[in-house]
Amino acid sequence: MRRVAVTGMGLIAPCGNDPEEFFANLAAGRSGVGILKEHSSRLSTRIAAAVSFDGSAHFPAPRLRMLDRVSQLALVAARQALRDSALELSDDERATTGVFLGTGMGGSATTDEGYETLYKESSDRIKPYTVLMAMNNAAASWIGIDHALSGPNLTFSTACSSSAVAIGEAWLRVRGGAAPVMLAGGAEAPLTLGTLKAWEALRTLASEDPADPSASCKPFSKDRSGLVLGEGAAVFVLEDWEHAARRGAAVHGEIVGYGLSTDGAHITRPTVDGQARAMQLALESAGVPPDAIAYINAHGTATLQNDAVETAAIRRVFGAHADRVAVSSTKSMHGHLLGAAGAVELVATLLAARTGTIPPTLNLRNEDPECDLDYVPNVARHGQDIELAMTSSFAFGGTNAVLVCRRA
Amino acid sequence: MTTTFETMKSIIVKDYELAPERLTPGTPLADIELDSLAVTELIFALEDEFGVEAKTNGQGMQTLGDIAAYIDQLIAQRDAPSARTGS
Repeated sequence: MRRVAVTGMGLIAPCGNDPEEFFANLAAGRSGVGILKEHSSRLSTRIAAAVSFDGSAHFPAPRLRMLDRVSQLALVAARQALRDSALELSDDERATTGVFLGTGMGGSATTDEGYETLYKESSDRIKPYTVLMAMNNAAASWIGIDHALSGPNLTFSTACSSSAVAIGEAWLRVRGGAAPVMLAGGAEAPLTLGTLKAWEALRTLASEDPADPSASCKPFSKDRSGLVLGEGAAVFVLEDWEHAARRGAAVHGEIVGYGLSTDGAHITRPTVDGQARAMQLALESAGVPPDAIAYINAHGTATLQNDAVETAAIRRVFGAHADRVAVSSTKSMHGHLLGAAGAVELVATLLAARTGTIPPTLNLRNEDPECDLDYVPNVARHGQDIELAMTSSFAFGGTNAVLVCRRA
Repeated sequence: MTTTFETMKSIIVKDYELAPERLTPGTPLADIELDSLAVTELIFALEDEFGVEAKTNGQGMQTLGDIAAYIDQLIAQRDAPSARTGS
């Protein structure tokens, strides 16, 4: 088995348009959640974590016309990651380098726009590029086209664990020797009226904090009321350790474990069994005992169900160490990026290990007896020795994916 | 032709970022990389601009002049319906 280095990171997300800015804001406890300017008259829940991003600054108009926002975000994150890696791929390497990307909703703005034309305007003039922009694999495909990568190009769609699965599957490919380099990550752009209303209907979104809308997402707090949707993308360059060492690449960290399980029980309700099994499998594949983990970037959606179940699952897997391990949900600041959540949170996890700073769980002011771990409430913790960290992504549909990484 | 062509030209310059000097009535669509989907989009935009309804998505059109001529034909039909109904 080969070791797998993370040699490139790219990110466009709430709280930052590159990994360093993003992490600095998380460490400072600055929330990226706010009131949406668009659609607010139609929404019961106006809060979301939007990205400050204008595609026209990154793409010429003819290309931009063919890209849904989700692909724009993914492409910019991928460019950042490749630039960061300083990789110069040979033709042979391009032939094996693949792109594994996760997205839950795909090109939802394009889908929305098509329906608006069809039903609201009663027009048959659907944009000719609609299918190509809305299809779930558009973002991954464009990354492959942009960088002439002709290894396998796959899109994983397992709702909120999509990108953790994409990264884990790409990790398996590099680890097994099938490819020395893979691009992996996730992207989501769900802040369209149609998608927001669908999530509202699911009654799983946080209610607006009347005093401070930016504090509406309250993971593990007794007064938590649900998740806050966010948009963004994060992409990584995963590279065979020897390949990276030969070219003297800077390494952000190492991915050492991946656990994948399915609840097989309910379409929304999570299970302790399923979540615990994914964490256990990730530890086993990393070959490390539970008490070696110093930090867990939790799924921590701030729904009533998830946070209590996740706490119980951590207790089951970590035993006595559950009272010592630091657990935080950065979703309190960047919101829930659905199919991009696992990727964005892996950035936070890798940078926590590298810097020794654990970003906090913001807005945690009311203790819940069902959530009784050390969630690093409200204030970051500096000077920590984090050799090994874990990040969890669980999903509607029941697919649980957990990654373990090691400080480089 | 002139007005229609100039309007179309300004749409192409804006939406596809092509240099105006490359756009003449004789310019083949293939030379400026306007694929069939882009031509369909362009015809949508011209429909809006001139308040006409196209019966084609541009199949068989070879040059920018072909598109402008087709739109001109639609404008002429729109402006002279009473001649045929002859009331």
